[in-house]
Amino acid sequence: MVISKAIRDQIEAENANYPRARGGLLAALHRVQREYGAITPEHATALAPIFDMTAVEVLAVVSFYDMLSSQPAGRHQVRVCTNLSCSLAGAREFLREIENHLGITRGETSADGRITLGHEACLGACANAPMMRVDDRYYEDLDTESARQVLDALD
Amino acid sequence: MATAAGVACEAEIVRITVDGLEYRLHAGPSLLAALDQIGVLMGEVDIPHYCWHAKLSSDGSCRLCQVEIDGQTGLQTACNTPVRDGMIVHTRSEAVVRARQTVLEFLMLNHPLDCPVCDQAGECKLQDYAWRYGAPNSRSREPRRKLEKRIDLGPGVVLDRERCILCRRCVRFCREIPRTGELAVFGRGDRSVIGLFPGVQLDNAYSMNVVDLCPVGALTSRDFRCKARAWQLESVEGVCGGCARGCNIWLDVAKGEVQRYRPRRNDAVNDTWMCDAGRLSYAEIARSDRLDKAWIRNQESVLEPVSVASAISEAARMLAGLVAEKGAGVIAGIASPHATNEDLFAFKRLLDEIGTENSGLAVPHGEADELLICAEKAANATGARAIGFEDARSLLERIRGGGVDGIVILGHDILTAGYLDDETLLGKIDSVILIDTHQSSLMRVAQVVLPARHLAEKAGTLTNCDRRVQRVRPALAADSELLTEGEIVHRLALALGLNGFEAGYDLPRVSRSLAAAVPPFAGITIESLPSDGAQLVSDGGEKGAVR
Repeated sequence: MVISKAIRDQIEAENANYPRARGGLLAALHRVQREYGAITPEHATALAPIFDMTAVEVLAVVSFYDMLSSQPAGRHQVRVCTNLSCSLAGAREFLREIENHLGITRGETSADGRITLGHEACLGACANAPMMRVDDRYYEDLDTESARQVLDALD
Repeated sequence: MATAAGVACEAEIVRITVDGLEYRLHAGPSLLAALDQIGVLMGEVDIPHYCWHAKLSSDGSCRLCQVEIDGQTGLQTACNTPVRDGMIVHTRSEAVVRARQTVLEFLMLNHPLDCPVCDQAGECKLQDYAWRYGAPNSRSREPRRKLEKRIDLGPGVVLDRERCILCRRCVRFCREIPRTGELAVFGRGDRSVIGLFPGVQLDNAYSMNVVDLCPVGALTSRDFRCKARAWQLESVEGVCGGCARGCNIWLDVAKGEVQRYRPRRNDAVNDTWMCDAGRLSYAEIARSDRLDKAWIRNQESVLEPVSVASAISEAARMLAGLVAEKGAGVIAGIASPHATNEDLFAFKRLLDEIGTENSGLAVPHGEADELLICAEKAANATGARAIGFEDARSLLERIRGGGVDGIVILGHDILTAGYLDDETLLGKIDSVILIDTHQSSLMRVAQVVLPARHLAEKAGTLTNCDRRVQRVRPALAADSELLTEGEIVHRLALALGLNGFEAGYDLPRVSRSLAAAVPPFAGITIESLPSDGAQLVSDGGEKGAVR
């Protein structure tokens, strides 16, 4: 099974809280991405009937959100915020330095499958720019050195 | 498919004013839908729109149909604003004109200026509305987005992503009409594109309707691509002959040939759709196996070409000889479910006047679905039965028993319907007279072969599976040697000296005789038939609902 019974049970239980069948889709997509690293077409096909949708609709929703991906990704999602406030505080240069450090550009996954790097628009931490998100955790007031330490410590 | 005209009868009738003119319409549906129901939308009321379509759900995405409504702040989209009593609507106010211009400017931001090579040019809503309502010049200094220009979505449809304005009609069509749901919008904002699930094709029985639905040149027909320009086409009203549904169509003609079929709206029959097989069936008109001349089997038993007049004389000589020698009971006729009501009525009269009751009908069958496609793969089986042709199986038994010496056959449906594996049985008959549009193996046993006009080359009426009589008009001028089945059998009757056949073949007169002689056709004549057809009078003699 592309989605394990345990995950599927959780998704269905959670979806029962929503008034419409498709209400719990986003929560489910986040859960699948966390478990499997991406929401592949196979995952979309497995999810679609739970939400009374077609697989192509599910995949279209995935394509709408930057934080969701249909491409298999690394073990850790690293996202640097490059919206206006962050960019004024040097986030673009900061992102480039991280790219140099990891040897990959945004959108790519490191060869060891450890890190997928991306950028995101406004993570809501403007006061503490530059910042990045590693999976579900925020790291703020970064400079190149402190960011390297965080990234190098990832398994 | 019988969609009710308008909405349920108990719906409240309201009065609204649009640009100073008052309309009475049903409360409930959106302004666009309500105006469409009374037939004035895109007529005297012109509210431009892209995403809204009469037969699809409302999307509200294109924003072009904005109108001003007294008492409401800001402009409202007519596609999803319900009609209410006393509504006063303005479609030409300054605010509306400005809003349209702005919407069009946004839609044009990324639209390529490739009209000179675009199939849609000339029948493009973006061209039309930009011309009528848009600003004369673009103010944009930004580069247009570059996207894929040719994606094969499936066997019938090609996608140009640069031209797409994301109205999502194609997406809604696939979800709502064939319910196959192949398409979706991927991405977000100005990076949105129409796409398919990986590994899936846009390949359903109705896929090419998205080409008609697409208001721009983003979705084009692989079959029609780069074949003709829209302004070269002359469109003639017709009916598809592919199955018993009788979908209403436009036959688009250029350079003396039908270039394509397109569905023509008839809410009582096919809404605005047709199946892909029917759409592509125009190719049979000019196919290389069309019969274009008459043949007679000579003394060496070889078919040799002759004039139609000679072939008719020869056929009459054979039939008259048999009747004189053995009586009219040895003569038989097989009708074609592809022929028109008038052709079939003339044929029935020929057989009646000869004095034979030996006749039959063979209807080819195939796949059917719940939308439009009927199992009977011919346009007029219902009409043939109403005129009095019954299943050919008993006639075939009679032929097997040696009771038939001369037969007139319209079409070769007796083979395609699977009643006979081959022509062997008919080869036992002395005189076989074949009248057909296309060549078939029946020619091997025919003494006389006469070419007939295709549905696209003649006038007449057809009766669909729901007993609706619909008119066809000649889209192509046929050669003078190419006659309708009706005229051929009429001339044959004249050559036989039969009663009741006047000198010249006059279609309106045949139609009037049909209405007078065959009770279900009472009151239905080719000249009085509305463009959306009329119902056959039901078997009980009660007149059906005529829309």
